[in-house]
Amino acid sequence: MSSMYVLILIAFGVGLAAWLLFLWTVKSGQYDDVEGPKYRMLDDDDDESRPENIRPL
Amino acid sequence: MPTCDHCLLEFPERDAVRSGNNGTSRVFCCHGCLGVYQLINSEGLDDFYRKRSKWQPGPASGQTVDLAAFAENIRPAGTDAETDIVLDGIRCASCVWLNEKILMKTQGVISAQVNYATHRARIRWNPAEIGIEAILKRISSIGYTPKPFVAKAYEEEQQRASQDLLIRFGTASFFSMQLMIFSLALYAGYFQGIDDKTKNIFHLLSLLLTTPVLFYSGWPFLKGALRGLRHVTFNMDVLIVAGAGSAYLYSITQMFTGGEVYFDTVTMIITLILLGRYIESGAKRKASETIARLLSLAPQEARKVLPPEKGDIVAIGMPHRVMTPVPSPVPGDLLEVIPGERIPLDGVIREGASEADESMLTGESLPVAKTVGAEVFGGTVNLYGSFIYEVSRIGNDTVLARIIRAVEDAQSRRAPVQALVDRVVRIFVPAVLLLSLATGLYWFFAGTSPSLAMMNAVSVLVIACPCALGLATPLAILIGTTHGASRGILIKGGDVIEKSKRIDVVVFDKTGTITEGKQALSFFRGSGMSDDEALHLAASLERLSEHSISKAFLRATGSRDFSPVSHFAVLPGKGVRGEVDGKETLIGNHGFIASACTNQSLENAFPVEIMNAALAAETAGATVVYLSQSGKPAGIFFVSDTIRQEAAAAVKMLEHAGLDIIMITGDGQNTAMAVANAVGIKTVLARRSPIEKAEEISRLREAGKRVLMVGDGINDAPALVEAEVGMAMGRATDIALESADMVLMRADLRLVAEAIRLSGKTFTIIKQNLFWAFFYNAVAIPLAIAGLLHPIVAAGAMALSSLSVVGNSLRARVR
Repeated sequence: MSSMYVLILIAFGVGLAAWLLFLWTVKSGQYDDVEGPKYRMLDDDDDESRPENIRPL
Repeated sequence: MPTCDHCLLEFPERDAVRSGNNGTSRVFCCHGCLGVYQLINSEGLDDFYRKRSKWQPGPASGQTVDLAAFAENIRPAGTDAETDIVLDGIRCASCVWLNEKILMKTQGVISAQVNYATHRARIRWNPAEIGIEAILKRISSIGYTPKPFVAKAYEEEQQRASQDLLIRFGTASFFSMQLMIFSLALYAGYFQGIDDKTKNIFHLLSLLLTTPVLFYSGWPFLKGALRGLRHVTFNMDVLIVAGAGSAYLYSITQMFTGGEVYFDTVTMIITLILLGRYIESGAKRKASETIARLLSLAPQEARKVLPPEKGDIVAIGMPHRVMTPVPSPVPGDLLEVIPGERIPLDGVIREGASEADESMLTGESLPVAKTVGAEVFGGTVNLYGSFIYEVSRIGNDTVLARIIRAVEDAQSRRAPVQALVDRVVRIFVPAVLLLSLATGLYWFFAGTSPSLAMMNAVSVLVIACPCALGLATPLAILIGTTHGASRGILIKGGDVIEKSKRIDVVVFDKTGTITEGKQALSFFRGSGMSDDEALHLAASLERLSEHSISKAFLRATGSRDFSPVSHFAVLPGKGVRGEVDGKETLIGNHGFIASACTNQSLENAFPVEIMNAALAAETAGATVVYLSQSGKPAGIFFVSDTIRQEAAAAVKMLEHAGLDIIMITGDGQNTAMAVANAVGIKTVLARRSPIEKAEEISRLREAGKRVLMVGDGINDAPALVEAEVGMAMGRATDIALESADMVLMRADLRLVAEAIRLSGKTFTIIKQNLFWAFFYNAVAIPLAIAGLLHPIVAAGAMALSSLSVVGNSLRARVR
C-alpha cells in the first residue's frame, strides 16, 4: 500500500516539474515567436571548411 | 534589363553600377546596393545571397534615423543595456539571419534576436564598448531601417491576454492529467471494488487537484457567467459554470456519503474549452500583428517644401526644406521625397518623376511609374527619382489608414455559424436549467429523499454541458485553413469558409487571372534575315526602351549578349530608333515602319498568310510590331498576353461543380471573346471599368446570386470587395490577404475549385462537430432525468463527444 503513495508522490513530482518548466517557458517568452525557429534551424552557422565559404582574397 | 544582384529589381541598363570583385562580375541598380553587397561580402556573410528564398525585390533603404526616439526605449539589464526596435525591410527569413549575424559580429553587442513574425529585434549590448548610435548605423548600413518600437497599448494587452490564456490552459492540463491518475483508479474501483479508505483518500486528492482548475483556470468563465447573470442573459459561460460548478459541489457532497464523484468532468470541461479559446486567440493575434506591421509602414517624418522666397524657385534638390512630423502637413502642402524613402501621405505629383513600389498596398510586385499628375500613396516606397508632390489626403483618409481600418473590421467578423451556436446556447441554457429544476422537483414530490432528488437535478446539469462545443468550430476552422495554406490557399476566417461553400457564380477577371498578365512574343518572322537574327536585332534595340512590350523581347531571347546600339531615341506613339552596325534600325507600329520603308514596301515583305494572321491577332488583342533596317522591312512580331495553361481545365472543373462562370474585363469585346472562347467561358462582360466591374457584381447579387470574384487584386479591388467572396491570385502579401477573403499563393486557376471544395468540406465538418458535441450529452439527458445516470455514462459521453469532434475535424486534412 505504501508503495502506492510513493508512486503518487513521484507522479506528482514529475508533473509538477513539467508544470514549472512550462510556466518558465511561457514567462521567458519562448512562445512569442513561433514562426522564426522553423527557418532558423535551416540556417547553418558558418562552416569555414565548406569550399564555398572560404573567403576570396 | 539587368537585375540588381542585391535587391533583385530590374533597372535600366544605363543606371548600372558594376563591381568586378574576385573574378565574378556583379551588377547593381545603385551605389546603395553596391555598398550593402560589399559590406555583406567583407563580413563573410555571402551565404545570405544563397539562402534567401522568398525575397521580394526592393532596394536598400538605408535611411538616416532619429536618435532621440530610440534613446528613451533603452533599459538597463544588469551592466548591459537592452532595447527593442522594429526593423523595416525584413522580407524573408534570411534577412533575420543577416541582421542577427551582422549584429553579433559587431564589437560590444552581446545578443541580438530578431522576431520573424513581428520584425522586432531585441538587442543587448555593453554600453562601455558601443553606443546605440553605432548599432543603428550598422543596421542601416546593410540596408534595413531601424525604427523605434512604440508599444501599442492594445497590442500589449492582447499579448498579455494570450499569454494569460496559455498559462491557464497549461495549468488546467497539468492538474487534469494528475487527476486522471486517481479518476482511472476510481473507475476501476467502481467495477472491481475498492476499499473505503483508499476511495476517500483518492476523493480528497481529486478535490485538491480540481479546485485550482475550477477557480484559477476557470476564472474567465466564472467572471463571464457572473456578468451574464447580472444582465439576465444566458451565455456560454453560464452553461460552463453551471455544469462544472454543480458537478464540483455535487462531488463534494458525494465525498461525505460515499457516492461517485464527477471531478474529472469538471476539469475536462474547463481544459477543453480553454484549448478552443487559445486556438481562437492565436488566430486573432496573427491578424493584429498584421495591423502593427501596416502601422509601422507609415513614415514618422516628412520633408516639407517651404514656400519660395522672392526669386527662388521650388525645384527638386533646392534648399528650403524642413523635416516635420507626419501629423502636421495638411492637404495642399508640398512635400519632397527622395529615392529609397517611404512616401509619407497620399498626394499628387507636381514635379519630377519616379517609380513607386506599391506592393504593400496592392500586392503588385512590379514598380509603378509615376510622373507629374500621378497619384502616390502614403506608406509606399519611392524607388528611383526625387519628386515633389502635393498632399491630398491625411490622417484617417489615406489609403493605408483605410486598409488598416478594413483589417480591423475583418477581425471583428465572426463566422455566422458561431452566431448560430450562440443563438442555440441562449435557448439551450435556460432550457437545461429549467429541466434540471423540474427533475429535482419531480423526484422530490415523487417521495424520494431530498438528496437523491438533488443528485438527479445535478446529473441533468452536468450531462447537459457540452464541453466539446467550445472546440467544435475553432478546431475545424484551424485544421481546414491550415490544410488550405499547405496547398497554397489562404483563407481569411470562418465566415469566408461558410460563404464560399454556397457559391452560385464565379466571376473571373481577364488580365492577370485568366491570362498571365504579362506580354509575351507569340510569333515572329524575319525578312531578309533569319528569324533569330531579327529577334536578336529587335531585342538589342528594345533593351534600351522602357515600354512594357520590350520585356517580351528580352524574355524571348533569353540571352544577355546584345549588339551595341548608338543614336537611340524613343518616338512616343510610334516606336524606337537606333543605329546598329551603322545601319538605321527601327521598331514600331505598322504606320511608322511602313512610312520608313522607302526601299521595299512593307506589305510585300511577308507572305499574305502572315499579314492575315497579323490582322486576326490584332483583333484578338495582340500588338503587332514591325522591324526595319536601312529602309527595308526586317521582321514582324506578335506580342500578346498569354492565356494560362490550366485555365480551360479550371473552367471545366468549376462547370462540373455546377457553377455559372462569367469573365469580366476592361478590354474590348473582340479581345475578350477570343480569350473566353479559348478557355470555354460562355458569358463575357467586356469594356468594364473597375467601378463598373463592382456594379456588375452587385447586380448579380441583387438577382439573388452568390458571387465569388477571382482577380489579381490590382485593378479589380472594388469588385473583390463587392463580391460575396473575393479571391486574390498571385503573389500574396499580408495586405493582399487582408483585402481579399482568400488568396491563392500559386498562380494556378485550378485552386479556385479546390478552395470551394475545401470550404464546403470544412463547413460540413463544423456542422457535424456541433452535432457530435451535443449528441451524446443530449441522449444521456433522459437517463439523467429518469435518475438512471451512472458516473461512468457521464464520463463516457464527455470523452466520446470530445473524441468525435477532434477525430472528425482531422478529416478536413484528408483529400
